[in-house]
Amino acid sequence: MSTLRTLGSAAGAAAVVGGLVLVATPATAADTATVSVLHGIPNTPVDVYANGERLIDDFQPGTLTDALTLPAGAYDLAIFPADAPDGSGEPLLEADDVAVPAGANATVVAHLEEDGSPTLTPFVNDASPVAAGQARVTVRHTAAAPAVDVRAGGTPVVEGLTNPDEATLTVPASTITADVTLAGTDTVAIGPADLTLAEGTSTIVYAWGNGEAGYDLAVQTISGMHSMPAGVPGGSAGLADDTSSLPMVAALSVAGLAVAGAGVARVARNRG
Amino acid sequence: MRPAAASAVLGLALAVGAPTAWALTRPEPAAGIPVEQALPAPAAPAGAGDLPALPTVTARDAAPAAAVAAPAPARISVPAWGVDAPVDAVGIAADGQMELPDDVSRVGWYRFGPAPGADGSAVLAGHVDDREQGTGALYPLKDAAVGDEVTVTDAAGTATRWRVVSRQVITKQALPLDRLFARDGAPRLTLITCGGPFLPEFRSYRDNVVVVAEPVP
Repeated sequence: MSTLRTLGSAAGAAAVVGGLVLVATPATAADTATVSVLHGIPNTPVDVYANGERLIDDFQPGTLTDALTLPAGAYDLAIFPADAPDGSGEPLLEADDVAVPAGANATVVAHLEEDGSPTLTPFVNDASPVAAGQARVTVRHTAAAPAVDVRAGGTPVVEGLTNPDEATLTVPASTITADVTLAGTDTVAIGPADLTLAEGTSTIVYAWGNGEAGYDLAVQTISGMHSMPAGVPGGSAGLADDTSSLPMVAALSVAGLAVAGAGVARVARNRG
Repeated sequence: MRPAAASAVLGLALAVGAPTAWALTRPEPAAGIPVEQALPAPAAPAGAGDLPALPTVTARDAAPAAAVAAPAPARISVPAWGVDAPVDAVGIAADGQMELPDDVSRVGWYRFGPAPGADGSAVLAGHVDDREQGTGALYPLKDAAVGDEVTVTDAAGTATRWRVVSRQVITKQALPLDRLFARDGAPRLTLITCGGPFLPEFRSYRDNVVVVAEPVP
């Protein structure tokens, strides 16, 4: 993830021009990529532009786009305050030539850095299959806050997570009660919230916000990573075995042959 | 005819007749269309050919929300087989196989897949027998006929009705698991138990009996 982090912070120098690269997961679709956009900057509705065209109008903080299927290629992204006249003025954030490689699954997040300045971070989503019965959960720190711990049912499962890092776990499918605490303390910063970690899906949880506007969780779910059971067991007694009568049939047949043989022998003897 | 000749003829008749009768009275290993044909085909991945440069975007609130679970099936009834059995939601066993109720008179529903009536293949499976408990609820599966009607009722009392279109005995190693457990495509009800020759050294059957049913319109 170090590459990604570097790229993320490169974009974070606000209005950076240049090579953001989304690291491709192993190619699935031939020439498309799956991209979602999450808005995690409090109190700032925005318009999102891609290649000079408006992609999202009046995008509200705390909302997530549905997954977009985009042709692979390079995109110039720019984010303007939503109340600005279309395409005019200074962008709040901008990133040119964001490479969207074929087969990638990514989420571009507009959020605050730890010090409160706005930034764009592209995260690569792990869309590889999980074992049957399992779920994947990823937590991403995109809030203007220091290091945090993430707890499930009161037990820390991710410790010392800093902005804009992420951590991923694979767990049995279940519903958990999660909260976020300041690292190494029991001081709850966000939550608790019930999260359904559905089998064969990836649940991505973002901590976002700042001290003034408050902190919150945003949840993104990616499905279709399920695997099949290895098989279906189903019996231990052999009662349904339709070949179990075979030895008896064979015995009958042999007995028949013996009787026939004896008969033939007697016929031969009588003649002789 | 003298007794010796008669016994020779009768003996021969028995020697030939017993295996012939056995072969003729064995149940057919399959009925209806093949299982793979009865299950929905996997969807082809969409290409980029006709994509607009920028799609229409929809956004939604990303706040954590409670998931609404589909009602689980509670009972399966097949009058033609004399089957009326309770259904338990089951998952994955420690060995990675589908979990089944220990009680062979109960049937397991694979809770990670579709519920009966939802898109994809809803799987109900059960032990065919047990050394202590005897035959299981799905023992009659091997004699299922095309057109047999199956009713699955959920906990709220809502019923889905199905008609058998396929029955096939498939070697366990050759099961089309991705199709049997498909989560997309037209709704199908897939019933699975064990069958074929019993392998005492493994305390297990060689094959699975698979029955696929389509919704009754």
